[in-house]
Amino acid sequence: MKTTTLSVLFLFLFISISSFAQDIQVKGKVSSKIENKKEALFGANIYLKGTSLGTSSDRKGEFTFPRKLKTGDILVVSYLGFIKKQITISTKSTYLDVVLKEDETNIMGALPSKKRYKSKRSKQ
Amino acid sequence: MKKIWLYLLFTFGVSSFAQQSDFDSTSFTKADRIAKTYKSKGLIEVNKLTFQLTKDLTTDVEKFRAIYIWIAHNISNNHRMYLKNNRKKKRFKNDSVRLDEWNSKFKKDLFKKLLRNKTTICTGYALLLKEMCAVVGIEAHIVQGFGRTAVIDLSSLDFPNHTWNIVKLNNKWYLCDATWSSGFSNTETNEFKFKYNDGYFLTEPELFAKTHFPLQKELTLLPKNSMSYVEFSEAPLLYEDAYNMLDKHLLPLKMHNEIKKNEIVQFQYELKKKTDIKKVNLVLSSGSNEKYEKPNVSLEDNVLSLFYQFKRTGFYDVHLYFDKNLIATYTFRVSK
Repeated sequence: MKTTTLSVLFLFLFISISSFAQDIQVKGKVSSKIENKKEALFGANIYLKGTSLGTSSDRKGEFTFPRKLKTGDILVVSYLGFIKKQITISTKSTYLDVVLKEDETNIMGALPSKKRYKSKRSKQ
Repeated sequence: MKKIWLYLLFTFGVSSFAQQSDFDSTSFTKADRIAKTYKSKGLIEVNKLTFQLTKDLTTDVEKFRAIYIWIAHNISNNHRMYLKNNRKKKRFKNDSVRLDEWNSKFKKDLFKKLLRNKTTICTGYALLLKEMCAVVGIEAHIVQGFGRTAVIDLSSLDFPNHTWNIVKLNNKWYLCDATWSSGFSNTETNEFKFKYNDGYFLTEPELFAKTHFPLQKELTLLPKNSMSYVEFSEAPLLYEDAYNMLDKHLLPLKMHNEIKKNEIVQFQYELKKKTDIKKVNLVLSSGSNEKYEKPNVSLEDNVLSLFYQFKRTGFYDVHLYFDKNLIATYTFRVSK
């Protein structure tokens, strides 16, 4: 019984919030965390999921999203070699402190080659 | 993570013939034109770049094409970084802590260089491709494993050496290798030259598997358990031109062959492009001696067959050429 009342209350709260939903100006900072060392990420991708709206972080890792957002919008924050994060926008999302974690990709590279194969032969 | 592979595995059943010819009716002219004319100084704004490249294209395969072509024409291979990474990896081979440290440090450096100078090594290509695909909602994954060229000795490789991608288009998985599509480094001067090779774009899985062996075996996109690492390392050696000219390599099955004198050997290929059969040659090399040989050639539909009789004993490197294009190498030990 209690839970139903509570959820109804939440539902009302939610409806009232969304009906008063204002456009939210989102700013933030993107940084990386490697072995507990935090560092700003320059050139991280920040875009609104499912649209072609986006921006990138500056040298300090900071960004201002070019358009005002609504609650429920999903921002994707990504950077090469890091696990991307999806952030659902709420009224509290005026300043996002986004910390990305490294993914486990190992770096490697086999070069394309034009050289022809030659068998190793013992001198006769 | 595990779920992804399970899911991938599940979808492979229907994707065994995934290749570029699936899109024969799609013209890439527009995508190619957009990608080849769009210049961007750095890569600081990957999402904007991706939107610019794809905004006038409607299908996923065209969008993917534009992204792929742009990467292959704009991102250079960095031979110096490649050598440095190899040295360090060898040195820290038995020290996992330092190896992880190096990997982490190198990764940061690598992505900085990629974003600022548009230069990288293959993992950078593969990650960038995946990232740009994600921006336009195309699912792509990174595949790590073994790449094989004439200068790579698979028996002395201690660790996987290559990265490429699989991409999902129209609910089917496809293979591609943007690194090998992009061009060549001069190994002496470290200079890179762009030379686009379309042969690694949505390649026929069987042909792709001749030079690419993934750590996760399912990612060959071949029917289950159809290739082991040993089979991979014993397969005929194919060159980049093979990927332009062939759809399939059929015979011989192995690179190294032992035969008896006067035996007739059959070579067989499924052609992608029309080839002048008069210009199909074998070059037999035994140490310093090199001999051009004309095999018996026949072409039926698009299946090219060559027959050649080895009349002398000896040990030969046998190179297949279509005109001036080097296609494949085999070795033959001919005994009495």
